[in-house]
Amino acid sequence: MSWLTDPNPALAVLIAAMLAPLLTVLAGAWRPASVRAVAVGTTALAFGTAIWATAIEPSTFSIMWIETWNVQFELAFDGLAAMYALLATGIGLFVVLYAAGYMPLHREHKGRPLIDDARFFGFLLLFMASMVGLVMAQDLLLLFVFWDLTAVASFFLIGFDRDEEDARDSALMALLVTGISAIGVLIGALLLWQEYRTFSLPLIFEQTETSVTVTWATALILVAALAKSAQFPFHFWLPRAMVAPTPVSSYLHSAAMVAAGVFLIGRIYPLIELEPWLGDALVVIGAASMVVGGVVALTRDVFKQVLAYSTISQYGYVVVMFGLGGTYGVGGAMFYVIAHALAKCALFMTAGALTEATGKQTLSESGGAVRAMPLLAFGSLLAAVGIMALPLTIGFFKDELFFAAATEHGRAMQFFAVFGAALSFAYIGRLWIGIFLGSVKQEHRPIGALMTWPVVALGILTVLGGVWVQPFREIAERAASVSYAQAIDLDIAYHFDARPENVMVLGVYGLGVVLLLTERWWRNSMRALVSIGEVIGPAHLYLLTLRALVRLSDSVHDFEVRDLRSRIASILGPAGVLVGLAVIFTPTEGTFVVGPLQRSDIPLLTVIIATAVSGVMVTFPRDHLRMVLTLSCVGYSLAVVYAFLGSPDVALVAVLIETIFALVLIAILVLMPRSILRYESRLRPARWRLGRDVTVATIAGLMAFFVAWSALSRPSASTTVISRQIELTPLAHGYDIVTVILADFRGFDTMGEITVVAIAFLGIISLIRAGRLR
Amino acid sequence: MTTELYKVSARILLLPTLLVALGVMVKGYADPGDGFSAGVIAALAFALQLMVFGPGELDRLPLIRYVPYAVFLGLIISLLTAFVPSVMGQTLFTHWPPAGDSAPRFGTLEFITAVAFDVGVFLIVFGFGVGVLSSFARAEGRMRTSEERVARARAAEGEAGNTT
Repeated sequence: MSWLTDPNPALAVLIAAMLAPLLTVLAGAWRPASVRAVAVGTTALAFGTAIWATAIEPSTFSIMWIETWNVQFELAFDGLAAMYALLATGIGLFVVLYAAGYMPLHREHKGRPLIDDARFFGFLLLFMASMVGLVMAQDLLLLFVFWDLTAVASFFLIGFDRDEEDARDSALMALLVTGISAIGVLIGALLLWQEYRTFSLPLIFEQTETSVTVTWATALILVAALAKSAQFPFHFWLPRAMVAPTPVSSYLHSAAMVAAGVFLIGRIYPLIELEPWLGDALVVIGAASMVVGGVVALTRDVFKQVLAYSTISQYGYVVVMFGLGGTYGVGGAMFYVIAHALAKCALFMTAGALTEATGKQTLSESGGAVRAMPLLAFGSLLAAVGIMALPLTIGFFKDELFFAAATEHGRAMQFFAVFGAALSFAYIGRLWIGIFLGSVKQEHRPIGALMTWPVVALGILTVLGGVWVQPFREIAERAASVSYAQAIDLDIAYHFDARPENVMVLGVYGLGVVLLLTERWWRNSMRALVSIGEVIGPAHLYLLTLRALVRLSDSVHDFEVRDLRSRIASILGPAGVLVGLAVIFTPTEGTFVVGPLQRSDIPLLTVIIATAVSGVMVTFPRDHLRMVLTLSCVGYSLAVVYAFLGSPDVALVAVLIETIFALVLIAILVLMPRSILRYESRLRPARWRLGRDVTVATIAGLMAFFVAWSALSRPSASTTVISRQIELTPLAHGYDIVTVILADFRGFDTMGEITVVAIAFLGIISLIRAGRLR
Repeated sequence: MTTELYKVSARILLLPTLLVALGVMVKGYADPGDGFSAGVIAALAFALQLMVFGPGELDRLPLIRYVPYAVFLGLIISLLTAFVPSVMGQTLFTHWPPAGDSAPRFGTLEFITAVAFDVGVFLIVFGFGVGVLSSFARAEGRMRTSEERVARARAAEGEAGNTT
């Protein structure tokens, strides 16, 4: 029982996280009303385990997973994993608590049954569990599995209201953008394997050196990470994902999914450092996301849209900081993720609570909510000033670190940093003021305490981080020292002097207030700018690509299913062309040889000619019975060819197969109504279709002919295999090679084939018995 | 067209064909033929009965109703011979007795697990052939009776139409 007295923390965290969705779903099957309580309890358990694991030494766990590839199931609960696991489970706990208050209202609005709770919390906690697994995975294949699992869970959560087309489209968009880009992780992993012969990240980091392969692998993994973090130009899926129920949005934005992207950047940071241009690319992409997200957020009217674009811009900061690198860059990025998670989660919850209370979703329809919901206003104010980086909040330090990193890279970067921070100051300020101040524009229904208190708690945490920064700082430092591969000491404190960071912060406040006060003047021009972006932006490109793909697939499908002839043409045509290309590009030395013709070959030649003639004759008869009989003529002639070639076994099988085939075909003809058969045999195909069929058949036939010719005239390696099998046959207790090959040497192939026969049999029987042919 | 000659010859041919199938099966490891060919030959024996006598008469043959189940029996036998070795820590399709050892034999037939696998193949092919052909034949019979029913109903409708 050593695992009980001396448990492995890494494994314990994963098991605790995995238990949460499992128990929740089981509870849903047992008693749907208990789902919310079970979800809260299991999430608290997972959070507790994560705290316990953080408190003790970093631990690893590994067992052999795929032995033939030497792949380990390798987990490590290091500083980086600790930070993200704490976020995923801790923020997760707040989100689950909030959702416990939110879901009954949501279900009531949409008229959904109680059992939907199990579906919702099941996927939400699966999301959490796959995040926890992702951050601990030390093996690239394992990491890829968890990476895709988060995408799958998010697909079901975004499309939770599955009756709504918008929800379905948005879920698909999120899945396509993050799922297709995820292939980058897989290709990157395979490239790294090519270079280092291992999927294990610690082993890869041990032997890193710059090479073109490694750089490309890293770039591909980065593409996946940036798409998941909703960075420009992959950002468009995130605002669409706002159709999800609010708890999902707040989780997606703060601690899961989008955070998973920047986590991956942190995980593979030692590889990024190898190549300077990768860091520069990160700075450019992050900066673009900061500007695009910030500018669009300033023009949006729907709360959740403002917040979604703000997330794009805030993660832009993080990406820029990773790109800038250094102690402040990497450490600051980690710290930024923590600070942002706390505040952004609370702000999303505020938006959801407000919509539930008033039924309104836009800034223009809201205002003055501070009087009806003072507690909510207080909690979200704390969170908002956190993002606006006012002193005495954790957000102040996140901007300080950002500015410190920017200062190391010159004046231009400094100005840009101030501009970006001022943008976020302005859009968050605009959001909070728009919601809570001003004249009252709507009625407020009371909402539950469960929807208010998580916001207040997160708001207080935001402020607490500004007063007692030590624990947050330590978590960020430990995470950053894993990415940076050396100990990092973040100098976080209030300094009352005129250092550049302080001056820049003052600049941000000034510029932000100016932006807020002058909204009237820039609003319209900014909106016009943004709508231009919508027309030519990547979201439009995505839509066009999707439509073109659908159209292509439809047209191919329509052509294929029109009738049997076009179906066969659509298979034989491309096959013939591809085979033809293969024939053309294969070296032809020693092939296409015409051997000498001897007198003893004449009988064989006669039969082959007979086969060919009957093959051509198949195309002539119009009535079905004659077609079947001519077809079996071809088969029987071929059997004679086999017999002449000295393989009685094959000849026997050919005769038997031909016989039973003819019988089955005739039996099918008997099942068809006579009138249809008669009508069909009188039908004359249009001239152009006849031409098409003849062309396709000629191409496919000629290519098959050339392939057979080149294969048969080439001395091939398979003859050695065959002679080896002939040699082995007596050892296998046999004298008939064909039987021994079927039952012994290639027994596995036979196994597959007979299984197919059995399944086909089941299909035929159930089709006939189900009355389709009645 | 089903003359007495057809009926007599079909009846006479049934047992010999099955015997040939058995021979092909048993001698498969030494001479041309294997479980597959034997299965097709046996299925053809029944197909002949089906064509000459029709499905109704065929059903009177002993055990014929259970032949389609042979597909699954055969699949189980083949799966067992394939996968039992893996339970005993060997790779799939490790046949017994191992290469070079002598096996109990009866004439040319050696009792080895590869033959058991071949018997599975035989059962699958045999069951498939008989099952598919007989269910086609039954469906055809059903179709014909329902067509006749429709025709009769139409005729009755026509009469009713004439009277009103």
